[in-house]
Amino acid sequence: MAEKQLDVRVASPIQDRRRFGSRGALFAGFGTLLTLMAIMSIDSLHTLQSFEAHNTQIRQDYLYREHTLEQVRTGVYESGDIMSDYTMIESDPHTLERLRTEIQSIRNETTALLKECIQSLPVDKRESFQHLAAELERYWSSVDPIFALRPTEKKVLGNSVQRSDVLSRYAEVLAITKTISAVNDDELRETDRRIAETFAQFRRRLLMFAVISIGFGLILATTTIVYAGRLEKRVKDKYEESLQAQRELKKLSKRLVEAEERERSAISRELHDEVGQSLTALLIDVENLTEMSSEEGAFRQGLQKIKMLAENCVNEVRNMALLLRPSMLDDLGLVAALDWQAREVSKRTGMLVDTVDENVSDNLPEEYKTCVYRIVQEALNNCSKHAYAKNVRVVVLQEPNHLRVSIEDDGKGFDTSRVRGLGLVGMNERVSQLGGLLKVESDPARGTHLRVDLPLPNASADSGELSS
Amino acid sequence: MKKLRILLADDHIVMRSGLRALLDRHPNLEVVGETENGRETVALAASLKPDVVVMDVGMPILNGIEATQTIVTQCPTIAVVILSMHADESYVMRALKAGARGYLLKDSAAADLIGAIQAISQGKSFFSPKVSRILAEDYVRVLKQKGAVDTYDLLTSREREILQLLAEGKANKEVATALNISPYTVETHRGHILQKLNLHNSAELVLYAVRKGIIS
Repeated sequence: MAEKQLDVRVASPIQDRRRFGSRGALFAGFGTLLTLMAIMSIDSLHTLQSFEAHNTQIRQDYLYREHTLEQVRTGVYESGDIMSDYTMIESDPHTLERLRTEIQSIRNETTALLKECIQSLPVDKRESFQHLAAELERYWSSVDPIFALRPTEKKVLGNSVQRSDVLSRYAEVLAITKTISAVNDDELRETDRRIAETFAQFRRRLLMFAVISIGFGLILATTTIVYAGRLEKRVKDKYEESLQAQRELKKLSKRLVEAEERERSAISRELHDEVGQSLTALLIDVENLTEMSSEEGAFRQGLQKIKMLAENCVNEVRNMALLLRPSMLDDLGLVAALDWQAREVSKRTGMLVDTVDENVSDNLPEEYKTCVYRIVQEALNNCSKHAYAKNVRVVVLQEPNHLRVSIEDDGKGFDTSRVRGLGLVGMNERVSQLGGLLKVESDPARGTHLRVDLPLPNASADSGELSS
Repeated sequence: MKKLRILLADDHIVMRSGLRALLDRHPNLEVVGETENGRETVALAASLKPDVVVMDVGMPILNGIEATQTIVTQCPTIAVVILSMHADESYVMRALKAGARGYLLKDSAAADLIGAIQAISQGKSFFSPKVSRILAEDYVRVLKQKGAVDTYDLLTSREREILQLLAEGKANKEVATALNISPYTVETHRGHILQKLNLHNSAELVLYAVRKGIIS
């Protein structure tokens, strides 16, 4: 026994460590999985956000540049128109002055716009725009002399070199804007491509993360399931083991109770039937002898002595037999035995025991009779020994499928949650063997109330002969 | 005088032979049969029709009390005296309910058996003095413990007279003849007595009488 206990003690830390180890692994695994998933989501969110912002910026920049180019183009076109008006048609000085002002404002506007645009651009992208700005400036410079001409000189201008110079500059500027626009478009397409690439990269990363997470999760899940399964099996095994032990214990205790009852019964019968009857027969024989002998004196006195001795023996034997197992339980049934017990206890202890037996059949199965009898015996014993009760009320009630017993005393009671004497344990054992329930209520102010509910097998449910 | 025919029922052979020796010494008693279990006793009682059955309580197959019930139901003329080890009320009550007329303790059998057989063969009741004493003591003790009033005091002298005659085993008609009144009056008195004493049947009435020492 001691050796076995030692074994257990040695084995347990190892088991504990193993258990902690696997638990730690599980914690780490789940932690990693969760971290992985958190990183993945944060990264995705971040990428999407920056991508969105970047994309919007690029579109805005593109539109801004296009808009600037458009403005420049429009300005150049308008200046062409104004120039034609100025040189070919108009002669009114006021109108001419107005045209001059207009061209000046267009020049200022386009130059300012372009300048602004150039400043907004990164240094490496400025070149083409600077080229445009320079060309535009040359264009405006070539235009300026035309507006400085006097009306008379205008007509002469005709297809002069000056005019052709202006026209070529005009075409040059427009060409540059187109080129830049094309470059701009290309750049946008390039950006789109880059974005698509980034997206693809992002998708790959996401896929990789997902694959890793799922793979890791699968491994973790499998491990957990296996671990849980093993635990479950171990718990089940332990449970089965304890159930088995409980069953065996129950069987054992039942056998013990049965054996005790059987032994008592056998000894009681032996005492009562053999010893008691023989002594009684002896008494009768002595009586016969006494009657037959006519002589007085020593012989008769001797017989009288033998008779007294035998009588004492008979009483002793009878009391012993009854204490072991009352013969009325077998001869007269439960009710008579309970009534007898109540009277005996009353006589012995002075405690008033009142019995009420209702509908109790004389043909109850043996184990039910014994169970109820022993419970009442134990309870009455407790009432007089521990509770110092003055009154006890024993009620036995037979219903179609139940046998109910109630024992109520006015003694000093006890704390049912703490006190659990061997007597109560024994009672509970007897009751549970018959599938019944034992309830104990106790209160120092009101005494103890013990209730037993035994389910009856159907065969004995008929409440045969009624007893009062 | 005609001999009284007796059937001895006891599963214990030593006991039986002792009783037989006791009975054989009396010239007007004759043991006509011996049995050792309840069923055999019932069968033999039916075929032999003895005057008296001396019945042990604890017998195999069918116990003495149940055997008594069967015999008395089948042949009411047979008088049964119970032989028992127990001076307890439960046994006495059950024996009376079963229809036994006498209740004898085995340890006083030698002294009382002859008297008991003669009494019950004449239709009277008989109880061992020790039984009467124990029942009376129990009765007094319970009264004292409960602080109850002795219901016997509630009876009129006529009722007490009738109680005694009934308890001795007399029928209403015999009581009526003895007291020179009508059987109906006796029945009325009997009802009052049962009511006052909180009794329910003749067996309880006899038991009460034994307890009170009215009969023995």
